[in-house]
Amino acid sequence: MGNMCRDLFGRLCGYATLLQKNSTPKGRRIFHRDVEKEEFQYASSHCLSSYYSVFVVRLAIMIMLAILIGLLTILTWHFTKIYTAKSLSSLAYGLRYELLQRPILRMWNILNSTAEITTAQVKLSQYVIRRHSNPSTQAEQVELYEAMRAVTWALFSSRKALNSITINYKNGFVQAFHRDLKDNNTFYIYSDLANYSMAASDTNVMGSLSTRQAWDDKAIHGNFSAKWYREPLDPVSGEKIGKAMQIAPEDLINIAGLSQVPDGVASWHVAVSKFTDSPLLSAALPVWDSSNKSIMAVVGVTTALYSVGHLMKELVELHSGHMYLTSQEGYLLSTSTSAPLLTNSTKPPKLKMAVDCEDDVIRMGAEWLHRTYGKKFPSAHEVHVENAMLGHQKYYIDSFFLNLKRLPLVGVIILPRKYIMGQVDERAFKTLVILISAALCILVIGCVCILILTNGVSKEMNLRAELISQLEARRKAEASSNYKSQFLANMSHELRTPMAAVIGLLDILISDDCLTNEQYSTVTQIRKCSTALLRLLNNILDLSKVESGKLVLEVAEFDLGRELEGLVDMFSVQCINHNIETVLDLSDDMPKVVRGDSARVVQIFANLINNSIKFTPSGHIILRGWSETPSFCGESLNFPLDQKKSRSLQKSRERINPNHAKRASMRDNKVILWFEVDDTGCGIDPSKWDAVFESFEQADPSTTRLHGGTGLGLCIVRNLVNKMGGEIKVVKKEGQGTLIQLCLHLSVPVEHTDQHCAVDLTKNSLVVLLALHGNMGRLITSKWLQKNGVCTMEASEWNGLTQVLRELFHARSSVHNNDFDAHYEGLKSKLLTIQDMRNPTFVIVVDIGLLDLSTDIWKQQLNFLHRYFGRAKFVWMLNHDTSNTIKMELRRKGHVLMVNKPLYKAKMIHILEAVIKERNLELQKKNITSSRTTMKEGDSHEFVEIDSTQFDATSSDDSDISEMAGSNPVSASGDKPTENGYLEETNLSKEESCQSSLSSNYATEDTQPISLSSKAPSSPTAAQDGDSECGETNRVTGSSKAINGKKSLEGLRILLAEDTPVLQRVATIMLEKMGAVVVAVGDGQQAVDALNIMVSAEDFRRESLQKERNTRSQTEIFSCHPYDLILMDCQMPKMDGYEATKAIRKSEEGTALHIPIVALTAHAMSCDEAKCLQVGMDAYLTKPIDFKKMVSTIISLTKRTS
Amino acid sequence: MDAGQMKRQWVDYIKSLFVEGFLDGQFLQLQQLQDENNPEFVVEVVSLFFEDSERLLKDLSFALEQKGVDFKKVDAHVHQLKGSSSSIGAQRVKNACIAFRNFCEEQNTDACLRCLQQVKQEYCLVKNKLETLIRLEQQIVAAGGSIPMMELSF
Repeated sequence: MGNMCRDLFGRLCGYATLLQKNSTPKGRRIFHRDVEKEEFQYASSHCLSSYYSVFVVRLAIMIMLAILIGLLTILTWHFTKIYTAKSLSSLAYGLRYELLQRPILRMWNILNSTAEITTAQVKLSQYVIRRHSNPSTQAEQVELYEAMRAVTWALFSSRKALNSITINYKNGFVQAFHRDLKDNNTFYIYSDLANYSMAASDTNVMGSLSTRQAWDDKAIHGNFSAKWYREPLDPVSGEKIGKAMQIAPEDLINIAGLSQVPDGVASWHVAVSKFTDSPLLSAALPVWDSSNKSIMAVVGVTTALYSVGHLMKELVELHSGHMYLTSQEGYLLSTSTSAPLLTNSTKPPKLKMAVDCEDDVIRMGAEWLHRTYGKKFPSAHEVHVENAMLGHQKYYIDSFFLNLKRLPLVGVIILPRKYIMGQVDERAFKTLVILISAALCILVIGCVCILILTNGVSKEMNLRAELISQLEARRKAEASSNYKSQFLANMSHELRTPMAAVIGLLDILISDDCLTNEQYSTVTQIRKCSTALLRLLNNILDLSKVESGKLVLEVAEFDLGRELEGLVDMFSVQCINHNIETVLDLSDDMPKVVRGDSARVVQIFANLINNSIKFTPSGHIILRGWSETPSFCGESLNFPLDQKKSRSLQKSRERINPNHAKRASMRDNKVILWFEVDDTGCGIDPSKWDAVFESFEQADPSTTRLHGGTGLGLCIVRNLVNKMGGEIKVVKKEGQGTLIQLCLHLSVPVEHTDQHCAVDLTKNSLVVLLALHGNMGRLITSKWLQKNGVCTMEASEWNGLTQVLRELFHARSSVHNNDFDAHYEGLKSKLLTIQDMRNPTFVIVVDIGLLDLSTDIWKQQLNFLHRYFGRAKFVWMLNHDTSNTIKMELRRKGHVLMVNKPLYKAKMIHILEAVIKERNLELQKKNITSSRTTMKEGDSHEFVEIDSTQFDATSSDDSDISEMAGSNPVSASGDKPTENGYLEETNLSKEESCQSSLSSNYATEDTQPISLSSKAPSSPTAAQDGDSECGETNRVTGSSKAINGKKSLEGLRILLAEDTPVLQRVATIMLEKMGAVVVAVGDGQQAVDALNIMVSAEDFRRESLQKERNTRSQTEIFSCHPYDLILMDCQMPKMDGYEATKAIRKSEEGTALHIPIVALTAHAMSCDEAKCLQVGMDAYLTKPIDFKKMVSTIISLTKRTS
Repeated sequence: MDAGQMKRQWVDYIKSLFVEGFLDGQFLQLQQLQDENNPEFVVEVVSLFFEDSERLLKDLSFALEQKGVDFKKVDAHVHQLKGSSSSIGAQRVKNACIAFRNFCEEQNTDACLRCLQQVKQEYCLVKNKLETLIRLEQQIVAAGGSIPMMELSF
C-alpha cells in the first residue's frame, strides 16, 4: 500500500517535473525572442518576471492538484479494499472452520456409532455366552456358536455402514460377518471347528497375561494350520446362498484378536483391507465372563471411512478447495479427492502419508505444513495461514486437531485464496485501476487546463510585449514624422531668404523709371506671385506650427474690411481668367477694426476662396460677412440666405435711426463674426461635409489630378477657426455649389466700436447707374447703395446702358414718354423719384467689359458715352488686362475716375466721396465770387466726419503695422496699397494737380484711396508696399509718406542718446523727416545732464517759449518736459541707457512728470526687453531702427502723455 | 557713357550688392532719407561709418593685442561696430560682429582674433563696394543724369 502510494506520488512528481521541463525552455525562448527582435529590455524583463511568477503559481497549482487527486485515490482505494478484505477474511475463517468441522463431526459420528455397535455386540455376546456357560459338549458348543451367529447377524444387518463384525473366541474359533462394499456381497467367515478343543479353552479360562499372549499367538499365528471358510450370504435375509469355501489366509479380513485389547478395554485403530480402497476404522472390545475375570471373546467392529471422504467431496464440490484428514503420524485417512489413499505397490496395502498423496494440492499443502512447522506443531495443532503460496496460487491453510483416544486426528483444509478473496482482489484491483486512471485523467485534464491558462497568460504577455513594441514603433514613427515636418519647416525657412531677395529686387525694378506701364504691371504681377509663393512657404511653416500645437495667435488691431477687400482684389485677378465673379458683401454692422490675428484671418479666407475658385468653373464666389453679438449666437446659424439679408438690411436701418441699441451691445467688446463663402461650383457631397476638413482629405480623389492641391487647405482653415474659438462647417445650399459657413470670435477695441463706414450718402442726392457685367456684384452693390439712401439703376449690357441713359437724360425733357418698356417699369418710378431730387448728381459706373473691345467699336461707344460727360460723373471699372490705349483714350477724354475690378463697398464709398469732392470743387469754382467760408460750411459737416474717421484709422493702422511687424502680406500697410495701385491716376494731368493742391489741406489725404492729388508719381510704388516680407519697402513707403504729406511727429522734441555716430545721424535724419526736433547726445550722462539743465531752466523756458509754442500742437503746451520723448541707446560709454534711465526716473520722483523713454538696443532678446521695462523705460525698439515702428511707438507714447 | 547707361549700371551694381548680401534694407532706408534738405546724406553717413569703424577696428586690434584682454571692452567695441554697421545695412559686417560677440562671451582670444580678421575683411569689402557705388552716383550726377536713388525715394 505504502509502496504504491510512494510509487504514485513519485510518478506524479515525475510528471510535474516533466511539465516544468517542458514549459521552462518555452519561457526562455520567448524571452530570447523578445530580446533579439524587439530589443526592448526593460519591458521584456518586466514581462518575463511576471511571466515566471505566473508560471510558478501555475506549477504550484498543478502540484497541489496532483497531490489532492493522489490522496483521494489512495484513500478511496484503501477503504474499499481493506474493509472488504477484513470482513471477508473473518467470514472466510468461519467458513473454513465450519467446513472442517463437518467432516470431523461425521468422523466422530462414525466413531460413536462404531463404538455403540461394538458395545452392543459385546453386551449381546456376554449374554449369550453366559447362557451357554461352560459348554461341556461339542453340541452345546455348536449351539452357542449358532446363537452367537444369529445375534451377531442381527446386529450386523441392522447396520449397513459396518464393514465387518468379528468375534474371536478364546478357544480360537472365529465367527465374522463381512460386507464387501465393492461387490455388495455379504460373507460369513468361520474357522474350522475341528481344530479347537475344549481343553485348550479351559486352560485359557484361568489364563494370565502370559497365557493370553499365547492364545493370541495361537489365534493369529498359531492357527496357520486352521482352515477358514467363507460362505456368501443373502445380504438381507442372511440365508446361506452359496457353498462355504475355504479361503486363503491372505484373503482373510482383519479379525480383532486378544492382542488388540491388551488391558481389557476398548481399543481403536485404523486398518486397511484388501477389499476396500479406504482405510477402515476398527474397534475392539473384550467380552468378559460372568465373573469378569477372564475374557471369553474379543469383538471387533470395522467401519469404512469412506463416508467421511464422501462428505468431504461433497463439501469441496460446494466450496471448492481441498480437505484431508490424517492421523497424528501423518497417514492420510480421508481426502476430498478421489485419489487413492492406499499404496498399491506392495501387499498388503498400506496407508499413505499425506506428503505422498497423489493430489498435488494436498501434497503441496502437507509439504508446506511440514516445511513450516516440521514436528513442532503448535500446541493445539491448530494452524491458520492465509497466504500460503502453493505452486502459483495462494491458499488458505487451516488445520484442526481432533484428540481421540489412541487415535488423534488432524484435519487440514486448503482453500484457494482466489475462491474467497478472488472477487475482492479483483474488485480492488479494478477499483485501483479505475481510480488511478481517473486520477490520471483528471490530472492530465487539469494540467492541460493549466497549460491552456498558462498559454493564455503567456499569450497575453506576448501581446503586451508586442503592444509595447508597437508603442515604441509608433513613437519612432511620430518622431520621424516630426523630423519630416521639422525638415519641411527648415526648408521653407531657408527658401524664404532667397524669396526675400527676389522680392527686394523686384521692388528695385519696380522703382525703375524706365519701365513701361506694361512692364510695370508685369513686374507687379511677378511680385504678387512671389509674395504668394512666400505666403505658401509661410503656410508650410504655419502648418508645422499648428501641428506641433505651437501656434500662438497674435492679438492686434486690424481693419478686417480692408483685409478682406485686399483679399478679394487679389483673387479677382485670378478669377477673371476663370470667368468667375468675386463679390465681397460685408454688412454695415461689421466692426471696422477688430482685435485678432489678421494674418490668420486672411489665411482662412484666402484658403476658402482659393478652394472655391478651384472648384468653380463659372459663376460667382460671394464672401458674405455680418456680425452678431454673442447673445444671438444660436439662431443665426440656421438663417436662410434671404432672411439673413433682410436682417442685415434691418440692422442697417436701425443703425441709421438711433444708435444706442447697437452701442450697448458693442460695449462688451466681443463680437461673433459670421462669414459665408458661397460659390457656384461643383459642390460637395453631403457625406463628405465633415471629412473635407480633415488633413489630406479631398471630396473627390480625382480632384488632385484635376485641380492639384494636397487637401491641407481646409484642414488649416478649420484648425485656425477652432483656434480662434469659432467653428466652420459646410451648410446646405439651394442650387448648385457649396456654402461654407464659419464664425469667428473676435474682440473689438472700445475706441473703434463705432467706426463702421460712417459715410452719410443720403444728403448728396446721388444717382448711381451701375452698368456692370457681374450680376451678383451689381445686385449687392445696388442693394447696399439703396440701403444707404442712394438711388440706383442697373444695366447689365451695352444696350441696356444706352437705353437707361436715354431715359435718364432725355426723359427729363419729355417726362410723359409712353414708349417705356414694361421691362423698365421699375425704372420709371425711379426716374420719378430722381426728378424729385434737387440738383441730383449722376454717377455712372461703367464696366469696361461692356464696351466691345474686340473691334474698334468701343471708340464710338466711348464717344457716345462722352456726350453725357458733363451731366454725369463716369467711373470706369477696369479689368486688370485693360490695354493702355483704352486707358489713354479715357484719360484724354477727361475720365479720371478709373477703378479696377471688383467693385465693393469700400471702393464704392471712395468713388462716391471723390465724386462729391469733385462736385464740391466745381461748386467752389462756380461760386468763386460768393464767400468761400459759407461754401465750406455747406459741406464741412460731411468732410470733417470723413476726416476724423480716416485719421483715426490711419493712426491705428500704423500701430497695427508696428505690432504685426509687417507679417500681413496683403494689406498691412497704412494706406490702401491695392487701391492706390488700381486707381490708374498715375499720369495725372497738370490741371488736376491744382485740384490736388486744394485738397491737400487734408492731412490724411494720402490715406484715401481716391486721392486726386499729389501722390501721382508715388502710387505705383505704393502699390507694392503691401508686401510684408520686405520690411525696407514698408519703410520706403513710410518715409515717402512722411516726405509727401504727413509729418506725424510734427512739433515733437526728442532727445536722442546714442553713441554710435552712424546711428545717431540716421536716427536724427529719420526723426527730422517726420518733423520732430532732435537733440542728439553721445552718452547717458549727457542725456541726464541735458534733461536736468532743461528742467532747471524750465520756468524760464516756459515763459520765453510761450509764444513759440502757441504755434505748436496742443500737446506740447500741456507738456511740462522740455522733451517729449527720449530715445535711449542701451549700450553707451560712461553711462549706459539703463543707468541713465534710472537717474532720470529718480530725478522725476516727487514730480508729476514722466518723460517717455524708448530703448534702442541691438539686443533682441525678450529678457533685454524686460530689463528695459524694469528700469523704467516705456518702450523698446530694436536696431536697426524700423522706421514705421519707431514712428508709431513715438506717436503712441506722446499721445498717451498728452 | 550716357546717364541712362550709367543709371542702368548703378542699378545693376546695387542689385549685386543686395544679392551678394553686402547690403540689406537698411541701406535703402538710408537712401529714402536723403532728400533736398540732406542731399549728401548717404555719403555723409557712409563716411561716418567708415571713420567710426576704422577707429573701432583699431581699438579692437589694440585691445586684443594686450596681454590680459579686456573682453568687456572688446565686447563694447564690437557692439558699437555692430550697431553702426547694421544702421547702414552692411549686413555681412554685422553678421561677422555677431559671431565675434559670441566668442567674446566665451573669452576665446584666438577665435576673437580670427573674427577680427574677418570683420576687417568684410569691412574692407563693403567699404570698397560703397565707395564704388558713391563714385558711380557722383559720375551720374556729373553726367547730368538724375541720381538714380532719387527714383528709389520716389
